Amino acid sequence: MLQYTFRRTLAVLPTIICLIVICFFLMRLAPGGPFTSERPLPPAIMANVLERYGLDQPLHVQLWTYLKNIFFHFDFGPSFSQRDRDVNDIIAAGFPVTLTYGFWSAVFVLALGIPLGIIAALRQNSLWDYIMTGFAIFSQIFPNFVLAPLMVLTFTLAWGLLPGGGWNGGQWEYVIMPAVALGTSYLANVARITRSSLLEVLGAPYIRTARAKGLAERTILWRHALKPTLLPVISYMSPVFVYMITGSVFIDVFFSTGGIGQSFIDAAYTRDYSVILGLAILYSVLTFVLNLGVDLAYAAIDPKVRSGLK
Amino acid sequence: MTNPQTPEQTPDNPEHHPRTMFGARRQHEAAELAAAEEMIVSRSFWADARRRFVKNRMAMIGCFFVVLIFLFAAFGGVFAQYNIEEIDWSLLGKVETEGGPNLTNGHWFGVDELGRDLYARVVQGTRVSLLVGFVAGITSVMIGSIFGAIAGYYGGRTDQFIMAAYNITLSIPYIIFFVVWQAFFGRSVTQMVLVMILINWTAGLLITRGQVMTLKNREFVDAARMLGLSDLKIIARHILPNMLWVIVIYTSITIPDAIMMESLVSFLGVGIQEPQTSWGALISEGASTMTYGTLWQLMFPALFFAVNQISLYYIGDGLRDALDPKER
Repeated sequence: MLQYTFRRTLAVLPTIICLIVICFFLMRLAPGGPFTSERPLPPAIMANVLERYGLDQPLHVQLWTYLKNIFFHFDFGPSFSQRDRDVNDIIAAGFPVTLTYGFWSAVFVLALGIPLGIIAALRQNSLWDYIMTGFAIFSQIFPNFVLAPLMVLTFTLAWGLLPGGGWNGGQWEYVIMPAVALGTSYLANVARITRSSLLEVLGAPYIRTARAKGLAERTILWRHALKPTLLPVISYMSPVFVYMITGSVFIDVFFSTGGIGQSFIDAAYTRDYSVILGLAILYSVLTFVLNLGVDLAYAAIDPKVRSGLK
Repeated sequence: MTNPQTPEQTPDNPEHHPRTMFGARRQHEAAELAAAEEMIVSRSFWADARRRFVKNRMAMIGCFFVVLIFLFAAFGGVFAQYNIEEIDWSLLGKVETEGGPNLTNGHWFGVDELGRDLYARVVQGTRVSLLVGFVAGITSVMIGSIFGAIAGYYGGRTDQFIMAAYNITLSIPYIIFFVVWQAFFGRSVTQMVLVMILINWTAGLLITRGQVMTLKNREFVDAARMLGLSDLKIIARHILPNMLWVIVIYTSITIPDAIMMESLVSFLGVGIQEPQTSWGALISEGASTMTYGTLWQLMFPALFFAVNQISLYYIGDGLRDALDPKER
């Protein structure tokens, strides 16, 4: 297990470095830059600006300095368009917000999706089951960027229950809609996976054995059926967690929550390369780490994988 | 499999013969005749699948709506009274009250926030969304299945290499990649299609790879190899026709995905560039102005988007039912 963890962690590092290098060169190859504007700067000032940000040096030197700063000082460099901030500041300001609603969204998905799936499986072909199937189709057709405006329309404009945007230090009213809008399509998928998985488990011979020896249905469900049911759900969690983070791009733009997604889009508009690069790296690292975490959790729970690792 | 037939040529099922018209004996003979005919001209796989697909009511309704939307994209512009950029100055400043859908002034769907005709813009948006979705979706699946076929057929190093590329691509957060790409290379339809193919090239890869892996050990492939056919010919002539159904199903799933991806990115404001537009961009504009009560600006594009996605979903579902041997 320890060895597996170690091996997986080591494999992530070169991928991340590859990614940084590719992004870095893509960025420098692209025409235009943060300092090209409609009124070109006088050459002397331009030279000063380039020197200030170290852009006058050869590319490989720039890349090396960049990598060195990231890995040894955890410094992503200054922002090109916001003169008084650096990328670390932007991350420090936005990331807690993103994490907060991402976390609540994940809670929402799991805490509702799994029970819904279980109910649908236990009452197969009942009204509950049909409602859930309908909901699953609905959420595929209405992705969150259609759903979110509709939610604001209903809960803010029509009923005035919840604020339609903003963050306000993360008060609960402000967290609900971002978290729900972010999670709905995944909620449907989690419910669907739980349902089919539980149906499969309930058909297994050992459940029949448990029934034959007279265990109560409840005991069968909680003691015997639940754990194997959750395995496919856990393996599905890695794209979910990843999306809870990358989905922030959309949530921040629509709800003005002020997470890192907004900074990312702003940076893309102003061609603020260091911010784009820094945030892209952050997103990618999180993606790898979350994937790794889910894989490890899976390995820890599934006896088949666990014994295979020894 | 080699000669696909139209449903007209296929003999009807014996059960479907009207029983009241014949006596018991003749009915029996007719059934026997039909059975014999069926043995001679056996239905091909594709004719069979088409039959099942046509019988699927939801899928047919889906096809109907998709055809409608395509017609709308192709010829809808003819009925537009304004072009996509023209600002109707007479409505400016009172869009909220008088800019709604109106049959007398030619703004069938109303006007947008800037007083531009929404009908013309929805036609334009439909064109862009369908174009990007279909071109990117189909091309991605083609590329994905070519790589899948190569990986499955050759195995070994080639397979490992392609699978490594596959895993890396999947682990890159696509929204991020998309935004970065658009920021660097400009926001045109071509770039959009290009980056979507780059992100989606893995579509269908895994499943074609698996198919090829099982197919390549079958006798008919051995026979082809013994006859001295080149690898390319074996893949193109003997393996591809046998897994075409997988590719068709996958394409039908990938196209709505691609449309959704395009819309999401346009919603974020880094998609298609003004004055061009797409469903996502229109929904985004509508969502930002709905506070003023101009709901039609959100509802028309959202309606087109939703109807299209529902239809494509049911078409994909119908194709899977019709083609997948496991579903039978």
